[in-house]
Amino acid sequence: MAARQTIVTRLTAVAFCVAACTVFVSHAQTNPQRIVSLVPALTEMLFAIGAGPQVVGVSSYDRYPPSVTSLPRVGALLDPDTERILSLTPDLVLTYGSQVDLQTQMRRASIPTFDYRHGGLDHILVTIRQLGQRTGHINEANALVSGIETRIQAVKARVVGKQRPRTLLVFSREPKTLRNIYVSGGSGFLRDMLVAAGGEDVFEDIGRESVQATTETILIRAPEVILEIRSENIPAGAELDSELQSWSRLSTVPAVKNKRVYFVTGQQMTVPGPRVADGVERMAKVLHP
Amino acid sequence: MMNIRRRIAMVVLAFLAFAIAVIVVAPMVGSTSISLSKAFGRSVDWNENVDAQIFFVARLPRVLSGALVGAALAAAGVVLQALLRNPLATPFTLGVSAGAALGAMVAIAIGLDVGWFGVSSVPIASFAGSLVAIGIVYALATSQRRGLSTNVLLLAGVTLNSFFSALILFVQYVSDFTQSVRAVRWLMGDLDVGGYSSIVAALPMLLAAFGVFAFLPRTLNLLTLGEDVAAARGVDVMSAQRWAFFSASLATGAAVSLGGPIGFIGIVVPHLVRLMIGSDHRIVLPAAALFGAAFTVLCDLTARTIMAPLELPVGIITALIGGPFFLWLLVKRS
Amino acid sequence: MSFRARATPGRRPSLFLDGPTLLWADNVSFRYSTAAPLVVNEVTVRLNDGTLTGILGPNGSGKTTLLRLLSGTRRPTAGRVHLDDRALDRMSRREAARHIAVVPQETELAFEYTAIEIVLMGRHPHLGLFTVEGPADIELAQQAMAATGTAHLADRPFHQLSGGEKQRVVIAAALAQSPRLLLLDEPTASLDLGYQLEVSALLQRLNLEQGVTLAISTHDLNLAAAICRDLIMMRDGRVIATGATTDVLTPENVRRLYDVEADVHVHGDTGHMTVVPVRRLP
Repeated sequence: MAARQTIVTRLTAVAFCVAACTVFVSHAQTNPQRIVSLVPALTEMLFAIGAGPQVVGVSSYDRYPPSVTSLPRVGALLDPDTERILSLTPDLVLTYGSQVDLQTQMRRASIPTFDYRHGGLDHILVTIRQLGQRTGHINEANALVSGIETRIQAVKARVVGKQRPRTLLVFSREPKTLRNIYVSGGSGFLRDMLVAAGGEDVFEDIGRESVQATTETILIRAPEVILEIRSENIPAGAELDSELQSWSRLSTVPAVKNKRVYFVTGQQMTVPGPRVADGVERMAKVLHP
Repeated sequence: MMNIRRRIAMVVLAFLAFAIAVIVVAPMVGSTSISLSKAFGRSVDWNENVDAQIFFVARLPRVLSGALVGAALAAAGVVLQALLRNPLATPFTLGVSAGAALGAMVAIAIGLDVGWFGVSSVPIASFAGSLVAIGIVYALATSQRRGLSTNVLLLAGVTLNSFFSALILFVQYVSDFTQSVRAVRWLMGDLDVGGYSSIVAALPMLLAAFGVFAFLPRTLNLLTLGEDVAAARGVDVMSAQRWAFFSASLATGAAVSLGGPIGFIGIVVPHLVRLMIGSDHRIVLPAAALFGAAFTVLCDLTARTIMAPLELPVGIITALIGGPFFLWLLVKRS
Repeated sequence: MSFRARATPGRRPSLFLDGPTLLWADNVSFRYSTAAPLVVNEVTVRLNDGTLTGILGPNGSGKTTLLRLLSGTRRPTAGRVHLDDRALDRMSRREAARHIAVVPQETELAFEYTAIEIVLMGRHPHLGLFTVEGPADIELAQQAMAATGTAHLADRPFHQLSGGEKQRVVIAAALAQSPRLLLLDEPTASLDLGYQLEVSALLQRLNLEQGVTLAISTHDLNLAAAICRDLIMMRDGRVIATGATTDVLTPENVRRLYDVEADVHVHGDTGHMTVVPVRRLP
């Protein structure tokens, strides 16, 4: 009787140890400690979910949060520096979906990658959750997503029932003229932000992320609001006046007539990351003051 | 008895009528139909008159710049083909457009943001770039011997094209994504000037070039037989070559600054015109200018209506027509 | 019908009496660039009115360059060329072209022109800047084509013509300039025998019947012997002999010119000369 008890105890102890070890080992395997990110939006997400300390390298265009400025740079979409990446001995590399060469090289070096593709507003939230899983910060990721969703819901609630102004969402144009105007064409995260903020994309029917608008098409579609997005360089004073002056040529456009031409600046507007809630709130403030 | 004066006059008038017809009708046509009576009537105030604004702000400047660019590039093509005695020469052969492109890309890359008289920095920088290219090619071509060697001119132009293309690639590489998009789009040509200031800015250069073109035709005929024979027939060859080179390059530089480097006009139009009426430059030069204007306006009309509500860059349409035409030309000649 | 716009009225060209000096190259030299050797070296040439002169020499002797100096399309590095009693380099190209026309060795066109268009281009020095060719010009062009036997080719594209036809059209274009002096560079070099005879006969006719002064640069001894009454022999940029063909065309001079031993025959009744090369000298 005593012998059987001893065996059972021993077996249980071994089983427990094995289980504990397995849990310990697999936990160590799912938590990358040296993450290299080529995508600024994903870097922001990592820091926002608490995985900042695990980041060892960022892209040339990373700017936020401020602590990334001290991190080594490994190139970007068009020019990833594979040598540099490998020299940082990463155990997870965040790449753009189109960087197939880089992904192949990482695969050869047995380094796992997380491949990111551009998408709408929902996709941003999905990506945050996915990163939470990959980096072992599931709770923080969920909390972040909830926070963003709450804020966006609040905006939606505020603008519900209000008339949605038809908005020309301008991404870029030649300075001081109306040439080479690129605008939102009814799809993508910026269009989603516009809709959440209570606006309607004047090129909604096209269904493309970015289209070139000509003077004729702008005159025909007659937007009620013109929203120009800049990532930095807020025009002010005389420069703002001359930029607004360019639009005055199209005086039949309601946005010009009613002086509803606005500049919205800041990286919240151009990076599809955790600061999208900021972006939505700012747009809503402009569209529905 | 043949009457040369009458023949020249009649053919040129026919082309003029065609060009005028195209230029008058084109602003009336577009992806949306507009009411001409509203556009031209006084009943509706300017700030409320969408039809008028579409006609006068969106379409008419576009048609006018298309006509000017087309006339300039076609005429420059004729002059350069005669100067280099090579029917395959184009206004872009001598590196002028590469210089213009480099100027534009540098302006885009460094975020140059100055404007002059309603013209933004990119057209100004691109014109400056074309002047630099003209200067370099001319200096190279006159460096060896007294006089302008057309062979050295051609070689200098081709070399400059390669060199500037390499520089353009470099500038593209150090640009960020948005700047690259802007640069690539500029290379496809864009006539949507949205106003008259760019046209007015380019006009002095174009008029100066066309002024010189008026004096060239018979000289160009004589240059066809070779420099020595032309000289023996009474042509001041060096002076003629200089005038031809500078006027054609100026016209090209101004046209590229206004609408971007729209390709194939400078070779398709001169050849079509020669096929129709022979090689006498007294007819070919004015006819090519007029036909070039009409051709470009028609290509732009196609570009802005064929995929409505989207618009294609005009350079794509001219390439789609010009590419196969160029191939056919090469095959026919061999 | 004469093509000489400035013929001395009432004077018929004489076979053996030379007229006044039309073109005089006075001790001219030429090099193509400062580092290059002299291609024409202290050459003096006198072309009298009504003469038919041959400039004879091997390739590289400077004949073509000399023709360029005589036509004024190049300025001599040293010495001067005079037309009548005026300096050629003081005249505008256009004015010189009213007196002197050049027929190059080969004509290659970059674009397609008809034969009559090519001939009409010869009227350029007589037309104002924006003047279009009028009936008188067209008449002259047609006469020039008739004189060269090319009238029937007027509307044919130039590049479709045979070698001989092309050469005769180009000569017609030069005649349309109404020149007093016609300079020809190797006019028969690229032609078949039949065309060679055609063109030589034409040149002789132009000189004897129309009174056009001709200077022909050639390396063809027999052409020179057949039609040129005077010869200028050039070698390595220098003139080694000059004078009447009957005097100058000797085996001795042929040897000095070509390093070739040759027999020179004069046919009794016609006075026609032929040169038969015998062998190369080491």
